[in-house]
Amino acid sequence: MTPAHFAFSSAFMLGLAGLAFHRTHFLSALLCLEGLMLSLFIALSLWALQFDTMNSAALPMILLAFSACEAGAGLALLVATTRTHSNNRLQNLSLLQC
Amino acid sequence: MSYLMYILLFGLVLGLVAVASNPSPYFAALGLVVVAGVGCGVLVGSGGCFLSLILFLIYLGGMLVVFAYSAAMAAEPFPEGWGSWPTLRLMVGYVAGVGVAWGLMGKFWYEEDWLGFDGVVELSVLRGDVGGVSLMYSSGGWLLIGGGWVLLLTLFVVLELTRGLSRGALRAV
Repeated sequence: MTPAHFAFSSAFMLGLAGLAFHRTHFLSALLCLEGLMLSLFIALSLWALQFDTMNSAALPMILLAFSACEAGAGLALLVATTRTHSNNRLQNLSLLQC
Repeated sequence: MSYLMYILLFGLVLGLVAVASNPSPYFAALGLVVVAGVGCGVLVGSGGCFLSLILFLIYLGGMLVVFAYSAAMAAEPFPEGWGSWPTLRLMVGYVAGVGVAWGLMGKFWYEEDWLGFDGVVELSVLRGDVGGVSLMYSSGGWLLIGGGWVLLLTLFVVLELTRGLSRGALRAV
């Protein structure tokens, strides 16, 4: 395990822990998801770069496209939540009424 | 070069700690910007200049601007930075967790050279990752079409979600 592997693995686990515990705002949870996707982007890029596999250098691009889809859907949910509940605190989502 | 890479990797982990320790969304977006910038440095140091450029222009310039703009919907009168006590406690906890993992994994490490793609080829016009990304347009064309299809589908998902309360995917019951 090289230091780069340790760095992006611990970054992924930190993002996952931050998503799972102690979220107050919905936007904070989305930012933690973005941190997860960013660490996965760096992981795929370093995998392609350090093993000299030229064919898999296109994988981070596809991952970035899917990450854009995830960010778009998440921010649309954020806008919808802000419209119905007037703020984006996650405690309001358990009220089950608009 | 190696010391610079260590500093960049340390900044990567510390930036994710700053995002994960539940500050206000303004500060979390700032932490994610720092993580993206440091990640660009990591990719440059490993030899992937084109992937680093993609990360800088597309991710940092396109997506994170949208996130920073959306932080206006999470406005609160007393934003909570990293200096407040619950956030600081979480930060200390996460740093301690990473330190424990470092101590456990430290004896399995091996040092590597930081030369990645084309590390010994000097003055080459075409880097390896440029050639690899350009393969997406030739033999990976179906993957490209699939990615474009997914992006088009996401456009309609976003339009249906933000249509309003009377019609669309989200309705008032």
